[in-house]
Amino acid sequence: MKQSHNAKELGPRLWRSLRQPLIAVAFGLLVGALVILACGQNPIAVYIEMFNKSFFTPYYLFSTLTRATPIIICAMATGMAWRAGYINIGVEGQMVTGTFVATVCALFIPGPPILAGLLAWIAGMIAGALYALLPAVLTWKFQVSMVITSLMLNYVANYITSYFVTYPLKDTAGDGLALQTPEIHELMRLPRLSTTSTFNAGFLIAVAVMIFMVFITTRTVFGYESKMGGFNPSFARYGGTKQVKVMIITMALSGAIASIAGTAEVFGLKYRYADGMLSSTSYAWTGLMAALIADLNPVGMFFVSIFLSGLQIGGSAIQRSLGIPLEIATIIQCCITLFVSVKLIFKVRQKKPVRDDVKEGGAQA
Amino acid sequence: MKHITKVYGSLYANNDVHLTLDKGEILAVVGENGAGKSTLMKILYGLEQPTSGEIYLNGQLQHFRSPHDAINQKIGMVQQHFMLLNPCTVAENIVYGREPRKGLFFDREEAVRVTEALCEKYGLHIDPRRLVGDCPVGLQQRVEILKVLYQDADIIIFDEPSAVLTPQEVNELLRTMRKLAEMGKSLIIITHKLHEVMAVADRVMVMRLGRYIQEMPKAETSIEEMSYLMVGRRIVERQVPPRKPTGTVLDVQDLVLAGSEAKNILDHFSIHVDGGEIVGIAGVSGNGQSELIQCLTGLLQPTSGKVMLKGQDVAGKTVGEIRTAGCACIPEDRYLWGCAAKASLTETAIMAHQRSSKISRKGLLNNKGARDFTQSLLEGYDVRNSGQTQKAGELSGGNIQKLIVAREIEQHSPLLIAAEPTRGVDIGAMEFIHNKLLEKREQGDAVLLISSELTEIMSLSDRIYVIYEGRAVGEFHKADATEEGLGILMMGGKLNEAVS
Amino acid sequence: MSSAYIASIINSTLRSTTPILLAALGSAICSRVGVFNVALEAQMLIGCFFSIAVNYATGSLLLAVGAGILSGALVGLVVALLQVKYKAADMVIGTSLNLLVQGGTTFLLYLLFGLRGVLNDPKLVPLYKINLPVIRDIPFLGRVLENLTILDYICYVVAALLFVWLFKTVSGFHILSVGINKAAAESLGTKATRIQMQMVILSGALCGLGGTALSMGQVTMFTENMTSGRGFIAMAAASLGMSHPLLTIFSSLFFGLCQGIGLALQNVIKSQLTMTLPYVATIVALVLFSRRSARRQA
Repeated sequence: MKQSHNAKELGPRLWRSLRQPLIAVAFGLLVGALVILACGQNPIAVYIEMFNKSFFTPYYLFSTLTRATPIIICAMATGMAWRAGYINIGVEGQMVTGTFVATVCALFIPGPPILAGLLAWIAGMIAGALYALLPAVLTWKFQVSMVITSLMLNYVANYITSYFVTYPLKDTAGDGLALQTPEIHELMRLPRLSTTSTFNAGFLIAVAVMIFMVFITTRTVFGYESKMGGFNPSFARYGGTKQVKVMIITMALSGAIASIAGTAEVFGLKYRYADGMLSSTSYAWTGLMAALIADLNPVGMFFVSIFLSGLQIGGSAIQRSLGIPLEIATIIQCCITLFVSVKLIFKVRQKKPVRDDVKEGGAQA
Repeated sequence: MKHITKVYGSLYANNDVHLTLDKGEILAVVGENGAGKSTLMKILYGLEQPTSGEIYLNGQLQHFRSPHDAINQKIGMVQQHFMLLNPCTVAENIVYGREPRKGLFFDREEAVRVTEALCEKYGLHIDPRRLVGDCPVGLQQRVEILKVLYQDADIIIFDEPSAVLTPQEVNELLRTMRKLAEMGKSLIIITHKLHEVMAVADRVMVMRLGRYIQEMPKAETSIEEMSYLMVGRRIVERQVPPRKPTGTVLDVQDLVLAGSEAKNILDHFSIHVDGGEIVGIAGVSGNGQSELIQCLTGLLQPTSGKVMLKGQDVAGKTVGEIRTAGCACIPEDRYLWGCAAKASLTETAIMAHQRSSKISRKGLLNNKGARDFTQSLLEGYDVRNSGQTQKAGELSGGNIQKLIVAREIEQHSPLLIAAEPTRGVDIGAMEFIHNKLLEKREQGDAVLLISSELTEIMSLSDRIYVIYEGRAVGEFHKADATEEGLGILMMGGKLNEAVS
Repeated sequence: MSSAYIASIINSTLRSTTPILLAALGSAICSRVGVFNVALEAQMLIGCFFSIAVNYATGSLLLAVGAGILSGALVGLVVALLQVKYKAADMVIGTSLNLLVQGGTTFLLYLLFGLRGVLNDPKLVPLYKINLPVIRDIPFLGRVLENLTILDYICYVVAALLFVWLFKTVSGFHILSVGINKAAAESLGTKATRIQMQMVILSGALCGLGGTALSMGQVTMFTENMTSGRGFIAMAAASLGMSHPLLTIFSSLFFGLCQGIGLALQNVIKSQLTMTLPYVATIVALVLFSRRSARRQA
């Protein structure tokens, strides 16, 4: 009987959780429309073109999903840390480090390619996890702001990998100007899922990561404890949570997932590591936006990531055909995030808790 | 103030309330927690705007949009939570808002002189150069009073002024209030402590559930009549069966917690609690109670000493280990420690139960088990809610406190630490929680009650310790505990001194 | 190491310090009123862009600097509205604005100038370089102060003015009180939220000026995302300087020095590695000084 009650509640609950993001998307598109108008174009025509060339033709839909793969995984990495209250904005650095390590291992580990490839994935995840643990440990031991340290580490990772692909690991065989490593072995590559496009099994990995996230968040004690720690660390500590352990696991998972994002891109799409391939595409930041828009809900992050990826694919299409810069996609997605955050407040405001005549000890203040 | 109504959501905090005040009189506004006294005063002071109603001052209609407007009309307020800048000096705090200037600059020397003159005028002495954060609570309140006097207020509102004071400091405060009234100031004191009303007020106004109930001159009323009006029914004296101690559950020996300075926050603190008894710890807030709770529960690591829980030393163990060893805790600040505003009721209810076999197995949650468990708490402890997905922050203070109490009692642990278990909850919830604590005692478990409400300590405890500056300075049995005796120890005095 | 080499390092330290110091002062006043402003990067970058854009369009330095300040303040206004007034989450507002300005400036660069990545044109008017006749001829000092712009001097004046304002005047006392105890300030009639918003907007203006110093200081050009984390380094500088304007000068100089050394070492070590120096130094500095700041908070 309780079950049916829950099922009845599901419809309105779904609507309640979707309402804010949908309104925000509408407002974001409205701002985008104004910008397009300012460029002297017809927003409706542009939007039709954009969505045609991102979702409504099979070829472009595959491009959208291909691009969405790292974004989804980055969103999960971000969500993993943020929901536990750890503001990890270094997903990009963790992804770059992990991916680079995975690529190097794939290139240099001897033995059967499939085994070496597997080891490469694991090595990449370990590297990403360790790189994420660096700011975590600094926060734990020295109370240093994770916001600053994790961001600083992005630049460090980008420059150092850039050094390696520019000098010691540069592919000398191909294009002399391209800063990239040689290609990985053919047997290591992820299979294509479509004959006409680059859509590949990386997307399935993204789906798997999402399912993993759903499992962690709703079915495990760890997920519960980390979530409570994110809501109120004092409450979690008082309830007997081992916070250092939770933080270490959370950040390690976040970094490992981040590394999967880039490794899937290398093993499924590019087959080599090229300088700036993960940073200039803003995968990590788009993933962060998706995580924020979806309020850190794994399934929500999955669909928002695909939507944002579609905006970007559509954005580059209209840049080619209409001359509107593709950053229109960035503008729209940032506006959506801003509107989501503001809308959330209106919601909270209406439901301000009614406290009674609360009396608390003034002496502690 | 006429026809004042203030609505929060669907809750009438004030419903058609009237209030008059004459020059030079002390009016006491009394009522239980949640009766709407504070809201009424916030409206008078401009901190809140009334939903409807009018305020007249000397016959003139006023609109207070902010405290600034109220201050301009010579209304001042000594808030329940001190509104002080702790890292600043006493003088800086007092002159705030009307600072002496030298050209563009803030003349801090002049501020000191002004403060000294003010202290002299009203006979309230304090060192103007001292940092407010270093002052004890009684002095901080004096700064608050001086602040209001510096603003030249003719009407001074005191919001629960005695809440954080010892009985002796309260007497001092009451004397100050009488003196101010003699000097022509009009005072409003909001309180639920009726003996203070009898000691100082000229007139009494009673509020209940946001409504104006009645007012009368003090001379024509009694504590019994007021309490009847406040609560709406006669209060029956609680009949507590005699204690049946079962053997020591908690034995704290020489517990020390070093502070950042030379003084220890907890200084060789020793107490013991038996099964089947409630032991109260009385003291003025800030004498180490918070730290004591945190040391006992594992949130803080004590510097030295033993905490024997059922014969096992748990000092320095983690929160989880101590909980497993048999200690549950109703935290002193429910919004800081007891819940998370954004967590659902299920998530709130299973905290510290998450590893029990009902809720999880091998790290995997049993969501149905969690829901059933939560439902049993919600129903068993009469927590009013709109479903388990409701957020903890949306419950009223009394209801969230009942849920926390439920969660901790359902640990069925040999020791329950109850810190300020009824702070800021309505009278119904208070009685309910007190009964639950007594039930726990009847079951033969030990309850350590830490509260700044002396009446709560005295009515529930079998034995009472007094904590002063981190030391246990006295032990009383229920029969020989008096408010005066406790008060002297809470101030750091000695009993025989006071007698002689 | 020759003295000329040292002088040139100090010279480039001073130049690198200016944008960081101005932004760090912006960060400091925000934290002094209890606002965690993460959008410093956005406030700087938009200043970089609009100062150069207006410079290109009008050729007027005054208008260019004005545009830099104004555009920074505008982003500050958005932060003030969303984060202070409507109490949106600081990280969400900060990161989205940082990305929005990053995308927006690239967008405008293409739309207005048809360019991708860089705007560097001989038409752009550089800021006056100050080379005083007497000082120029003093051997060491002359090299140290060579070709500094007016902004490289003004930033220290701004820091000093902020110090006097905050710590010596009545309005400064009220501003600080908001950060110490907002409820207390409000209870005495100070319009705390309004002050917070004003300070955030002022921080936007300071960052905008910092951005101007970046795009019209050592070089006169705009490149995509040219602030590259300086907003966050400025946050670190402000926190090391305990949000005190005068102490912030020293912490900013430290980060300027790291960039100066990084530039100087480029001839010896590959630039990709020297470029990491400011970022690594930021983390190391935060760790080294963490004990002190931890005690201050306690």
